[in-house]
Amino acid sequence: MLELYHWEPNTCFLKPLIALEEKRVPFQSRWFDPTSFEQLAPEFPADTESRLQLEREGPLLVHDGTLVSGSFFMLEYIAEAFPGTQLYPGDAYQHYRARAWGQVLAAIGADVGILGCAKYLRPILERYERRWLESYLKRIEPVERRTAWEALLDGRYDERALEAIRERLAFSLQRVEKTLAHSRWLAGADYSVADIDAFAVIAPLPELAPAVLNASATPRIAEFLVRMYERPAVQRALGYTRSGRPERAFVPGAEPSRWG
Amino acid sequence: MLTLYHWEPNANSGKPMLTLAEKGVEYESHYLDLLNFDQHQPEYLRINPDGTIPALVHGDRVLTESTPMMEYIDEQFDGPPLRPKDPASRWRMRWWMRFLDAYVAPSLSMIGWSVFVGPAARQRDPKELAAAIDRIPLPSRRLAWRKALFNEFTAEELEESRRRVRFGIGVLEAHLTRHTWIAGESYSLGDINGFNLGYALPLSQPEHCNDEVTPRIMEWLRRIYERPAARQTWAKGRTQLASRIGILERR
Repeated sequence: MLELYHWEPNTCFLKPLIALEEKRVPFQSRWFDPTSFEQLAPEFPADTESRLQLEREGPLLVHDGTLVSGSFFMLEYIAEAFPGTQLYPGDAYQHYRARAWGQVLAAIGADVGILGCAKYLRPILERYERRWLESYLKRIEPVERRTAWEALLDGRYDERALEAIRERLAFSLQRVEKTLAHSRWLAGADYSVADIDAFAVIAPLPELAPAVLNASATPRIAEFLVRMYERPAVQRALGYTRSGRPERAFVPGAEPSRWG
Repeated sequence: MLTLYHWEPNANSGKPMLTLAEKGVEYESHYLDLLNFDQHQPEYLRINPDGTIPALVHGDRVLTESTPMMEYIDEQFDGPPLRPKDPASRWRMRWWMRFLDAYVAPSLSMIGWSVFVGPAARQRDPKELAAAIDRIPLPSRRLAWRKALFNEFTAEELEESRRRVRFGIGVLEAHLTRHTWIAGESYSLGDINGFNLGYALPLSQPEHCNDEVTPRIMEWLRRIYERPAARQTWAKGRTQLASRIGILERR
């Protein structure tokens, strides 16, 4: 029995959807709305790792009773546990590169998440009745997961803070751009989990931060996104949307490095 | 030809050192003195332009991320397997390595840099220090070094780091109550990772990590310390940092 608990096909929720569609693995889609705090309901599956996982609000894969959390490791799990299209091709060095990208993209994803939450989630939270919202927020554990929500309402992400994040993002995206200048895919000659990871994290940026990702600043990334959109599995994964605008679906995720 | 550029058997440098020792793989060792900024010198920047350690050079392949580097070593070389075969245990190993790397390690290193790296480096000429910082390639590392060298950590930041370390210790103790090793039933890269982060916890966090409060962590650390590969790896240490491992000797 394979179940995927997910929301709109964007950022970390999009990753396992693409991987499962690439492999054509049959699974039960369990759609939930994290902006209504459905993930806090008592019947929602949870264990130590899913509660503490650093992406905070994210997808959950339940495979014969095993709970798999953390979207990059979920990609690796899908790549290794199921037959079908090879998502971890090549030799040990390609595998190393895919995993190293997983680390870089986790940091990029944290920044994309803050920009997305500030633009799309904050207005939603501000429309909620404050007491109702707080009744949910105060139940969130651990404290870092709760703080990630509260941070959207305490004014810390003002325009100056967001501009600093965009600058940092522009710097880290150059690493992706440089790699794609001499390779069609991120980990080497073949399509892999690294490309799924990168696409899921970066795809919202053309609308969210057009100054950072566009055809003149990052032409190779722009082409990469087109290549990814052309894949039938990506189209099928995006088809799980209910809003029709999955690229605007954000919930608090990984925190940026505390070292600045 | 296999070459490892590393500092002390500690934290990120120790991960590939212990992994290579467990696999029984011979390599050429290049010791870089982190406190002397050897890692920002031009000859090393030609190998790793980011100026971070460790770096593993295998033929024309250059690897600079320590956790994925361990998986590479396990996959590429013969020797006892250090990753479980079943996908669920493998997932658990990776989940825990990320939790340790991204949640516990930055907090522990903030404390370590404020009490050890910063004061040690401040013995040097301030002008020389400023120039050394300017040579650091990555903006994020430049910021980290500046904070450590000029003691710019705020009291709140340090307190939050101490809280996270305490929390991480509690979570790890509970995990080792359910499982013998990080990944489950077998010794793996997860334990190598955790050991490099935590071998000195009984010394640096004596009230929070000891035989009464965290018996499982203590037993787990000692079991790893007693492995020949760990003995061999920590014998390569040159400073007091590595000799802290003596705390794990059974009395």
